[in-house]
Amino acid sequence: MIAAIGLVLGIVAGIFLEPTVPTWLQPYLPIAVVAALDAVFGGLRALLDGIFDDRVFVVSFVANVLVAALIVYLGDQLGVGSQLSTGVVVVLGIRIFSNAAAIRRQLFRA
Amino acid sequence: MTGQRTAWTRLRSAMRPHASRGTLVPALLCALLGFAVVVQVRSTQDAGLDGLRQTDLVRILDDVTERAARLQAESRDLEDTKAKVSGGSSGSLAALEEARHRSQTLGILAGTLAAEGPGIELTISDPEGKVGADVLLDCLQELRDAGGEAFEIGAVDGDRVRVIASTYISDGEDGGIVVDGVELHSPYRIRVIGDSRTLAGALDIPGGVLDVLSQSKAQGTVTQRPVVAITSLRPTPTPQYARPAPQKTE
Repeated sequence: MIAAIGLVLGIVAGIFLEPTVPTWLQPYLPIAVVAALDAVFGGLRALLDGIFDDRVFVVSFVANVLVAALIVYLGDQLGVGSQLSTGVVVVLGIRIFSNAAAIRRQLFRA
Repeated sequence: MTGQRTAWTRLRSAMRPHASRGTLVPALLCALLGFAVVVQVRSTQDAGLDGLRQTDLVRILDDVTERAARLQAESRDLEDTKAKVSGGSSGSLAALEEARHRSQTLGILAGTLAAEGPGIELTISDPEGKVGADVLLDCLQELRDAGGEAFEIGAVDGDRVRVIASTYISDGEDGGIVVDGVELHSPYRIRVIGDSRTLAGALDIPGGVLDVLSQSKAQGTVTQRPVVAITSLRPTPTPQYARPAPQKTE
C-alpha cells in the first residue's frame, strides 16, 4: 500500500516538478527505468507468493538499476551502446512478461 | 482455489497501510521509479538531439549533410531549368509578337487585311469617257510615290478593287476600265491611306494628275479625310511553286 502510494507520489512529483534529465544520465535513465520495472514486478510476484522480503526487493531493485546502467555504460565505451541497450531491454522485457504471467496465474488461476 | 484465495488475501493484506521501515524503503524506491518514468517520458516527448549518442549524432549529421548536398544540386538544376524556361518563353513571346507584326504589315501590303488610317478620297467623274487606264495608272503610281500605303479603286456606286503589287489596269470595251478583271465605270473613286496632305499635294502639282484630268474634260475631286477605311480584300494567294527558302541562321 505504502509502495503504491509512493509510486503515485513519484509520478505526481515528476509531473509537477518538470525536471530535465541531466545529460550524463540520459543514456542510462530509460534502461534504469526498465530494470526497476523488472524489480517491481518481481517484488509483486514474490508478494503474491508470500515470500516478499523488503531487503531482497531493495537489493534487487538497486542491483538491477546499477547493472543495467553499467551494461549500457560498457556498451557505450565499446561502441555497441545502442545494440547492448536493445539487448538489455529485450531481456528485461522477457523477465517482466514472465513475472506478469506468474502474477496473473496467482491472481486468476489462468 | 485456496492458492488463489491466499494470493488475494496477501494482496489485500499488503494493501492495508502499515508503515514500518520494511515498507518505507520499497515505497521510496517505487516513488523514485514513478518519478523516473515520468521524467523519461517527458524527455522522450520533447526529444531533441541532446538525448542521442555520439554515433547517432554523427550519423544524423552525415545524413543531413548528404541531404543538403542533394537538395542543393536539385535546386541548381531547377534554377537552370527556370532560367531556360523563362528565357525561352520571353524569346518565343518576342518572336510571336514579331511574327504577328510582320503578318499584319504583309497583310496590308498584299491586300488580305482591311486597313484604315488617314488618307484621301479621289473622285473622278469622266462623263465623256476619255480617262483611260494610263491616266489611272499614272494616278496610282503618283500616289504610291507620295507614300500611299494601301489603295482601293472602284466605281462610286459599284465594285471596288484592292490595288496590290500585281494589279493591272487596262481599258475596258465600252469606255470603262478593267482592274484585275473587274470592269469599272465612271465615276471612279480611289481611296488611299497615307499622309493625306502629301497625297493631295502629289495630285495637285502642275502637270499632275488633276491637270491631266481637266485636260481630258474630266473632273477630279480630292477629299482629305482623317480616317479612310479600305475594306475590300484579296484572297490570300497560295504560291504553287515557290517555297520559302531555308533561312540561314546567323
